[in-house]
Amino acid sequence: MAKIALGCEPVVGSLAPSRKRDYRVTNRLQEGKRPLYAVVFNFIDSRFFNVFATVGGNRVTVYQCLDGGVIAVLQSYIDEDKDESFYTVSWACNTDGTPLLVAGGINGIIRVMDAGNEKIYKSFVGHGDSVNEIRTQALKPSLVVSASKDESVRLWNVHTGICILIFAGAGGHRNEVLSVDFHPSDIYRIASCGMDNTVKIWSMKEFWTYVEKSFTWTDLPSKFPTKYVQFPVFIASIHSNYVDCSRWLGDFILSKSVDNEIVLWEPKMKEQSPGEGSVDILQKYPVPECDIWFIKFSCDFHYNAAAIGNREGKIFVWELQSSPPVLIAKLSHVQSKSPIRQTAISFDGSTILSCCEDGTIWRWDTVATS
Amino acid sequence: MASSKASASRSEPPAAHPTMAGMQEMIPAHKEILPVIDSLKIQVAADRSSYIKKRMEENRLKLLDVSNQLYKFSMERRNDKVNGTDKSIDLLTKRQKDAIDMQNGIDISNEDKDSSSSQEDGNTSSAILLGSSIAVKNAVRPIKLTEVKKLPPYTTWIFLDRNQRMTEDQSVVGRRRIYYDQNGGEALICSDSEEEIIEDEDEKKEFLESEDYILRMTIKGVGLSDAVLDDLAQCFSRKPCEVKERYEVLAKGEKSVEGSGNSFLHKDLDAALDSFDNLFCRRCLVFDCRLHGCSQDLVFPAEKQLPWSYPDEENVPCGPHCYKLVPKSECNATVTSSMRVDPREKSVPSPDGTQAQISRKKSLGPSVRRKPKSSHSESASSNARNISESSDSETRAVQDIISVPQSSLSPKSKLSRKYGIHKRNSKRVAERVLLCMRKRQKKMVVSDSDSVMSGSHGSKDMKLRSNSHKENEDSTSSSQKLKPLSVGRPRKKKPPVLDSQKIVQQEVPHGPSNEVISYRPVRSDEILRKEEFMGENVCRQDTSDGKPWKTIEKTLYEKGLEIFGRNSCLIARNLMIGMKACSEVFLYMNSSRNRMSSRAGDGVNSLLEVYSKGDCNETTGNGVRRRSRFLRRRGKVRRLKYTWKSAGYHSIRKRISERKDQPCRQFNPCGCQSACGKQCPCLVNGTCCEKYCGCPKTCKNRFRGCHCAKSQCRSRQCPCFAADRECDPDVCRNCWVSCGDGTLGVPSQRGDNYECRNMKLLLKQQQRVLLGKSNVSGWGAFLKNSVGKHEYLGEYTGELISHREADKRGKIYDRENSSFLFNLNDQFVLDAYRKGDKLKFANHSPDPNCYAKVMMVAGDHRVGIFAKERISAGEELFYDYRYEPDRAPAWARKPEASGAKKEDAGPSSGRAKKLA
Repeated sequence: MAKIALGCEPVVGSLAPSRKRDYRVTNRLQEGKRPLYAVVFNFIDSRFFNVFATVGGNRVTVYQCLDGGVIAVLQSYIDEDKDESFYTVSWACNTDGTPLLVAGGINGIIRVMDAGNEKIYKSFVGHGDSVNEIRTQALKPSLVVSASKDESVRLWNVHTGICILIFAGAGGHRNEVLSVDFHPSDIYRIASCGMDNTVKIWSMKEFWTYVEKSFTWTDLPSKFPTKYVQFPVFIASIHSNYVDCSRWLGDFILSKSVDNEIVLWEPKMKEQSPGEGSVDILQKYPVPECDIWFIKFSCDFHYNAAAIGNREGKIFVWELQSSPPVLIAKLSHVQSKSPIRQTAISFDGSTILSCCEDGTIWRWDTVATS
Repeated sequence: MASSKASASRSEPPAAHPTMAGMQEMIPAHKEILPVIDSLKIQVAADRSSYIKKRMEENRLKLLDVSNQLYKFSMERRNDKVNGTDKSIDLLTKRQKDAIDMQNGIDISNEDKDSSSSQEDGNTSSAILLGSSIAVKNAVRPIKLTEVKKLPPYTTWIFLDRNQRMTEDQSVVGRRRIYYDQNGGEALICSDSEEEIIEDEDEKKEFLESEDYILRMTIKGVGLSDAVLDDLAQCFSRKPCEVKERYEVLAKGEKSVEGSGNSFLHKDLDAALDSFDNLFCRRCLVFDCRLHGCSQDLVFPAEKQLPWSYPDEENVPCGPHCYKLVPKSECNATVTSSMRVDPREKSVPSPDGTQAQISRKKSLGPSVRRKPKSSHSESASSNARNISESSDSETRAVQDIISVPQSSLSPKSKLSRKYGIHKRNSKRVAERVLLCMRKRQKKMVVSDSDSVMSGSHGSKDMKLRSNSHKENEDSTSSSQKLKPLSVGRPRKKKPPVLDSQKIVQQEVPHGPSNEVISYRPVRSDEILRKEEFMGENVCRQDTSDGKPWKTIEKTLYEKGLEIFGRNSCLIARNLMIGMKACSEVFLYMNSSRNRMSSRAGDGVNSLLEVYSKGDCNETTGNGVRRRSRFLRRRGKVRRLKYTWKSAGYHSIRKRISERKDQPCRQFNPCGCQSACGKQCPCLVNGTCCEKYCGCPKTCKNRFRGCHCAKSQCRSRQCPCFAADRECDPDVCRNCWVSCGDGTLGVPSQRGDNYECRNMKLLLKQQQRVLLGKSNVSGWGAFLKNSVGKHEYLGEYTGELISHREADKRGKIYDRENSSFLFNLNDQFVLDAYRKGDKLKFANHSPDPNCYAKVMMVAGDHRVGIFAKERISAGEELFYDYRYEPDRAPAWARKPEASGAKKEDAGPSSGRAKKLA
């Protein structure tokens, strides 16, 4: 590995907890026996800020966080195919505001569930292999993007059920795509990462007409002229192993591999030559015992904090935007020993949820510091 | 501030304490240096962290706006909902409310609900509250998601019309590959240990601003010494010499400026042709060919084409600026003016035999247009002649001697420097010198022996070739030009490159001719002076043209002569649009011809033919020279990436396929200029020579094509068919095809022959293939329309990869038990995994309805899939993969000749490859 040159060192957070906030376990649920791979709060619609969804096995479950650590089950969806194993779920919404759940897994079929009517809304067949992550465009929440083992990233319009764009091909990923995320403000931009150890930034600016067209498409979705986006605008090789989670932090990108840390870096693109550029690694957020892949972190609505579980069932909550980074809290519980695949932070950061390999959901709430 | 490099390494603590500790026990001198360096390092680190802090803060503010905006949106959505539709429809909201109500109401229900959490009862109306530490399963009745048929697995692939060479970045050789086994549950490293040694590239890292800063400040603080450099080097983990180098650069106070922008004016046609040579594929006739790559070896045909003979235009002007519209007098004027330059020449009789005359004309003609170049050497040798008169040897060595001392002749160089001011003029002047000498030479020749003539004639080609330096012609003044030209020439590839004129001139003094003697007293500087005067005349004539001719225009004009002959209309129209009008081209052509004709001393009429002929030889020969030179230069850079040579690792493992015991050989065109002998790369490689080879058509190693008349080349009686080749209308005598589907008419048949049916791959006349779920396993390819036996269905395309690469990729493919590798020939394997066409999905069957065949199509091997029997519409296509018996996966082994298929069956150990 290349030595970091003088004057380009990233700022590394200290693992000494700042005790800024304290969290305590307030609830624990055993959803089932199968591992839970994803948990996510609804940030799309402010009515549902306390509603979250989990996936595990062939099941998608919707919960609500209530005061006093209470969790209520609201809905549960089960795929009739027992072999389905959902890996990811995301909240989206229809153009008329109906809350939708979008889930995908090993079968490669993306299931769109209408949470307002408690029924399956649409199923997207197209990916040639398992779907590893689905994310929603917050600015246009009927657009979702999916990352798949078939080495492609696809952009879907959940409202019309159209696969608008496929980000794959000559410049695409060369192994499973594990994670993908929309840029928070630049609606054209997405970042994807995967088993080929790279993070790729794509732009759909030139293809935006297709996105617009997808909203007004009345013919069969399969007749839509889906386009391939073959070349990313930027390719970053930050990690030397699988990159299993990447998120935009403004114009910066947070990404993690299996190296016990989250890396914050800035892509510096060269305007003239797309695909080229350099990377400035700004900060690092150490996460001990986090050396297995498919562990994802999550941020609160305002990107103030990120929570990530580790192989041993502990959670590290980092203050993202301070420099140097501050470890807000390290959450551990004697009974939480199973690897935590995904966490979710509530809108204001007061609640943290974790879902584990052993099928449990843990709820942590802040305690007022004296 | 500083820009950083991509790196995944663990960070070091920002401050430099560890290094400091390590250096503590060094010699005392270091004690003074280290604190300076360290304090600077600390300062740099501090700058860095404040920079990051600043950036983070900027980003935070920006992001705050964004997230507030998003928050607004989410609030709007709530309001839309609340105001818009009625709430009862939204079950999520309803359940939310129920849950809250329940929590506020009775807390007891927890236990009840939980215990009675059977699938059926009363849970449709409300949510279930789950208190802490209560395990719950199936608390609510799940909503069933009806099963949707999933697709067979595949990897997103790119459709290809035709095979493509693998690009460098797609190679997996030398990369660590991890295969994640879905069933085993863990990651396996699928690469040899030997490859994992990834050598640290020793590329020189640029010095960063921060390093420059430390470097500068340290040396400023403690002075420059070896110890300082050593410490700095250690600090930067670089070599002391690097550091020193950098310091010197910094000390100069300016960064080294590289590559002063080469203006367009310096470029000429050669530079343009250079990129043409490198990027244009002569086999596919496209730029940036993906199949053969760029920087192919250039092959020049031994047989040249005559310039295009244009039927005599019926005096129709080509446009408003056509020379035919220009008043005659003007043309004449220029002619006479150039005549006037040296009236003596006119008066010279030409008593020599026609035969000799023609041959000389041939030799002279070209040099007229090449004049700038040859003229330099002419004048050079004219001087030289005085010095080394006695030498009549024709060897090059002598020429060297001649040309070198010449440049030291002071009067000459003085004069020529003067000429250098008006470069073009000086060239013309030199041209005049040449004319005079030619005159003399001719006279001498007339009276002299034939050997001189034949000498000049024979070496004509060489001489012309050596003129290839025209790109330099106007960039340097003639005197500066002289030396490199005459010295450099002998170094060129062809040893016998002799300037015929030089030879002749060397002989001139010995010529017994009176004429020569009469000119004898003219000393070199006298000649030059005279020529200067004449040059002025010429110059005047030039300026009357208006704009002077740029290099690019001149070279374009010369190309035009090659292509169109002396037809200013065509040259102007096709090559010089926006540069020169027809009349200008005509004038230029005339002036150069006048020069030539006056030199030749006889009528212009008969010249044209001869001229263009000689011209043709000249320029093609010239071309060879020039291109190969550029190629050599360019090759170093580009060849690394795309090369024929580095592609193959074939010889190590020749494998025996089922039918043939030898794989096909990859064809590379040879550049033989005569009939191919034992050295011919094609012959050595065991391939036939093709139309792309340089060798003449009579080459014994050429594949001659077929002469099939009525058989339509569909049986083994056709030599092409028998050799697994497609017919080539360029090669075969009678093969032709009609265009389109015949609705636009059929070309006139040649005799009573039928259309050739052995060109389907070339013409891409394939059947429509559909992709669908196989009846057997995974995906399958289906035929849309029914076809007859032996009908061509389509091509199996893919990335062309080396066998070594295929072995590497195959390791993973075999684990996935889905391989799209196809052995093409001794150099290449087709890999359709990422790039291919739909036929890659056709499954294996021991009793197939199709077969694959490697065909030679226009010099390339391609895989065609043909119907083995009649296939009706909608049928799935199968062919025998012909896996090597020992490597075939279980489903493809011969004994169990059942319908076992591609995707089902356990992983195979070896690498399975399809074989034709």
